[in-house]
Amino acid sequence: MQPLNITLVAGPPGAGKTTWIRQQVHTAAEPVIYLSLGAGETTLDPTYLAAEVPELTVLPAVQLTNFLERPPVGCVVYLELGFYIDLTSLVLPNQMADCRRVAVLPPGTRHTEWHDWADLVVTGAETAIPLQQAHFWRSVLTGQVLDSASLNTFWYELTYGAYGNVQRTKGIFDIADGRAFYFDFTKGLSRSNPVELNLPRCLNGRPDRLSGIEIVGEALDQETIAQTLKDCCLEEQAIVHYQQQIKDLIEQGEEVG
Amino acid sequence: MKVAVMSCIHGNYEALNAVLSDIDDQSADKIYCLGDLVGYGPHPNAVVEMIRALDIPTCQGCWDEDIVEGLNSCECSYPSVLAEKRGKLAHEWTNQVIHPEVREFLAQLPLSLRDDNLCFVHGSPHNQHEYLLPEVDAFVAMERILATGADILFCGHTHVPYVRSLDAGQLQIRVQSTGKSEEMSFSAPLKRIVNAGSVGEPRHGRPNATYVIYDTDADQITLREVEYDYQKTCDAIIKNGLPPIFAWRLARGLEFAERADDPTHVCER
Repeated sequence: MQPLNITLVAGPPGAGKTTWIRQQVHTAAEPVIYLSLGAGETTLDPTYLAAEVPELTVLPAVQLTNFLERPPVGCVVYLELGFYIDLTSLVLPNQMADCRRVAVLPPGTRHTEWHDWADLVVTGAETAIPLQQAHFWRSVLTGQVLDSASLNTFWYELTYGAYGNVQRTKGIFDIADGRAFYFDFTKGLSRSNPVELNLPRCLNGRPDRLSGIEIVGEALDQETIAQTLKDCCLEEQAIVHYQQQIKDLIEQGEEVG
Repeated sequence: MKVAVMSCIHGNYEALNAVLSDIDDQSADKIYCLGDLVGYGPHPNAVVEMIRALDIPTCQGCWDEDIVEGLNSCECSYPSVLAEKRGKLAHEWTNQVIHPEVREFLAQLPLSLRDDNLCFVHGSPHNQHEYLLPEVDAFVAMERILATGADILFCGHTHVPYVRSLDAGQLQIRVQSTGKSEEMSFSAPLKRIVNAGSVGEPRHGRPNATYVIYDTDADQITLREVEYDYQKTCDAIIKNGLPPIFAWRLARGLEFAERADDPTHVCER
């Protein structure tokens, strides 16, 4: 049997693992398959990549075993490992014994476990705080629709330190006009505008696609973050009202933002 | 004569003290206050007592009105659902701690004050909830001043100080009645809108309090920015059980709530 072309990608949060994989997809001649390991079914990267890179096949992590038993011929596989996975205790299936190991690390990083583990070290983006103090928090918001003005205020406060020292955060949020947006922040890097995801507008009640937020930082006030997010969410009546407005505009042939 | 004008103290006693001290240093002859004595900040009673004790002529702000009349505006008054929830928390807290005599004082405040060719209002002569932003349409701005008959209109509410001169504007109108059309044009003399900024809840990106001084003899307007120990107010916000995010925003000169997309909109409820 032809050996599988698998690349494991590891590194600290914000170093650019997902970005590097996205770059590889664009240069690959073969079909590319992507899996994200270590964060259960609620990690945002697969949702983001599935929406933004249509040529990529994104598989849920739970399908890894099946996938390895009957791998498709002539494809390239990228497995992204969450930064919180202990690389020394990572036991790989036999089919992955010969896989390539890539660590995406901030410039100037030396003598880390990633160096010992990786076959190839890629220089990624600068990250700001010592990793041993990092704390990971996430919340699934699937089904919630956020008021966009409130979301902007929350995101400003979050990324400027109102709820703790945030090093890295990303989120996928559904807003009132039916669109979903990807928010991304890494401390020390220039701020980017939210990206509208290439997903159909949800205009019939609460969306059932994955949305949520992941935060890496220090001294995070989780309770206040969760409460503020809750305060940004629209109630049922408001969701119906806004969705009807958008549907009316679309029906009238108006361009909707 | 020097006239000091301040606005939007919002229960920030530390900031008020610092501004009064600066007004003293500037040897102002008169002080006017444009309202919003309470709301968001931790010392609403102390602020009102100070204004009363110094007998500072004050007009009623939107927060003062809401504390007297009860919060009656709907969600259209808020720029976001988050701002609405935070605003209601602040209102409920203030409503609980306010003394009866303070509420009575707020209730009898006039909506506008006049001093010769100067007029003082909280938001605009139209409504204390209306924002007169510096970029508001010139015709609207001119109409608001002409409605008062004054030459200088002092307002607050936006929390960002500015001076806007409407210099000898040429107005043209067409009157149509029973098939007759008549055009009239007239020029308006120099008018000014002066926004005093905010003592206790600045929005200009720094925590410093702002107010203005108008020198009537020199016809000169000076925007004053006063440093104060805002950390004391931040500590009091947290100690008194107000949301800590108010302290975080105050320390950054961000105000407590963002501004609406259409700030000229006034709730009709």
